[in-house]
Amino acid sequence: MFIDTLLIGISSGAIYSLMALSLVLVWRSTRIVNFAQSGQAVFSTYIGYEIAVRAHDYWISLPLAIIFGALLGSLVDLLFMRPLLRRVKDGPIAEIAPVIATLGLLGLLQSLLGLIWGNAFLQYASPLSAKGFTFGSHTVPFSPQNLFIVLASCAVLVIFGFIFKYTNLGLALRAASFQPEIAQLAGVRVSRVRNIGWAFAGATGALAGAVITPTATLSPNSLDLLFVSGFIAAVIGGLDSLVGAVVGGLVLGIGFSFILQYIAGSVTFLVGFIILMVVLLIRPRGIFGRDAGRHA
Amino acid sequence: MRSRRFSPRQSALLLFALGIALLAASRVVDELRTYQGAQVAVYVIAIASIVLLTGYSGQISLGHGAIMALGGYGAALSFTLWNFPFALAILFGTLVGSVGGFILGVAAARLSGPYLAGSTLALAVGLPTLADQFHILGGEQGLNFDIGDPPHWMQKLGGDNFTQYKWFFWITTSFALVVIWAITNLLHSSYGRNWKAGRNNAVAAGLAGINISQGKILAFTVSSGLASLSGALFGLLLGLVTPTAFPLSLSFAIVTGAVLAGVGSLTGSILGGVVLVAIPELSGALATHLGGSQKMTANLPGLLMSSLLIVVVLFMPHGVRIGKFGRQQQANK
Repeated sequence: MFIDTLLIGISSGAIYSLMALSLVLVWRSTRIVNFAQSGQAVFSTYIGYEIAVRAHDYWISLPLAIIFGALLGSLVDLLFMRPLLRRVKDGPIAEIAPVIATLGLLGLLQSLLGLIWGNAFLQYASPLSAKGFTFGSHTVPFSPQNLFIVLASCAVLVIFGFIFKYTNLGLALRAASFQPEIAQLAGVRVSRVRNIGWAFAGATGALAGAVITPTATLSPNSLDLLFVSGFIAAVIGGLDSLVGAVVGGLVLGIGFSFILQYIAGSVTFLVGFIILMVVLLIRPRGIFGRDAGRHA
Repeated sequence: MRSRRFSPRQSALLLFALGIALLAASRVVDELRTYQGAQVAVYVIAIASIVLLTGYSGQISLGHGAIMALGGYGAALSFTLWNFPFALAILFGTLVGSVGGFILGVAAARLSGPYLAGSTLALAVGLPTLADQFHILGGEQGLNFDIGDPPHWMQKLGGDNFTQYKWFFWITTSFALVVIWAITNLLHSSYGRNWKAGRNNAVAAGLAGINISQGKILAFTVSSGLASLSGALFGLLLGLVTPTAFPLSLSFAIVTGAVLAGVGSLTGSILGGVVLVAIPELSGALATHLGGSQKMTANLPGLLMSSLLIVVVLFMPHGVRIGKFGRQQQANK
């Protein structure tokens, strides 16, 4: 029972980590929490769904959905966030304008999706079995799809870890978030680098949507709760740290899974809120957060 | 806002006159509009709570829907369980929400920007689920908060056709006017000035001897009190309180209303309240006009609301202002 609960926790934690990673990537590049992330991710998932239905192949739809997610993330930055940050520099809502604007974008994306595909729950099947692996007579609640989710999250972490640590692009991304002005002077094209951060985030969100949806259903709001979990995970991890996002996601996933098993399913988000509050009150910048987010 | 020109007593008289005019108007308009008027009054109070919190104290909350739920449940619980008269039940709900807001405010004063937004977001998702956990809170069915027909003296005063909706309108509007009057004065007192000072420049305000975190906690408490008052009135309009009556979208809607109002303007909150009630109505009419498919009717309100929000943030970051009055308010900040 304990092992089963742990496995469920790891699998859902991996998904939370992906969502948390996509939030951290945007935060690191623009110092904005992108509340539209679940809208962007679900949009990409709908695109993946449409391709999967037409091409009858999940494995074609997955990379295309990720590419679409990256494009969408980049477009949101170009067409939406940049004009916003240029225009709204002072006034009573300057500080909260990004929050409000991304919330508006979230609503816009979700109602557009509803207009196109309707609000009914759609099934987006994956060729991987959703049945748990069997060891002897015991079937664990961990299916090939779950394994794929965990592997995909690990792969994303490894790829981003590599990019941030060992490539010029990664150095530019870190410089642009650490000291934008000085990075600009040193020849980093900050706004372009930031745009790449948004694209990475969009792709990660799209991946999260595309791997989780086969285990659930697809609707314009189907990733909202994932967003809230991902956000809690990202904040627990410190919003600035990729590793923190993954650790936060796993802690939250495993925590939720044990609460679901041993207490009650419906209080999970309340417990999430309490965990979040405790972490923030002890360490206001999260467990892995630093005042100056310099490290990868 | 108006105190540059009106003293508290004058503005009280003005609002009293406005109240009389509105109540007189409720005798001629039809039932649906009366009910919508009551909804506007409820939203005005909720938006005023965000205006106070965000526009003056500089904090953000995406969880005020949950605080409204606290007020609604507090009122309904005291109404059904202890048979409080409804007016007392509403005040009890306000008290419950204020206490909750105080506890939250102590934590919130230490958080900034996105951290606060995210924590309150988690609260908005988490808190309504509590109703399922305790039998006393009625689970999915919720709690009854049906105050019944208007009392006899009211029917005598209001005439023969003084319906329940008119009674609702009467209650909510009175509360809204009192709230606007009280908060206007509060924001122009030293409390309001201290909040603004802390928002504009925390270091300078601290050096001038203002206790910033105390001010933030107080602002969160007062704002939660207002939100829970509107939550209690919201339950009154619905006749019951359920976990699903206070969804995440409610929290977003009142923030939207506050942004439309320009976050810094209490008078703007009336406009925000009207818009929040008008948009579903307008988009319903528009959807029928455009063919009325199910997809359309379900998604047009959201589309209009979010487009409006984006347009306002991008092009009118100081809120929708009307004419000279608006510019003057802006200059005062």
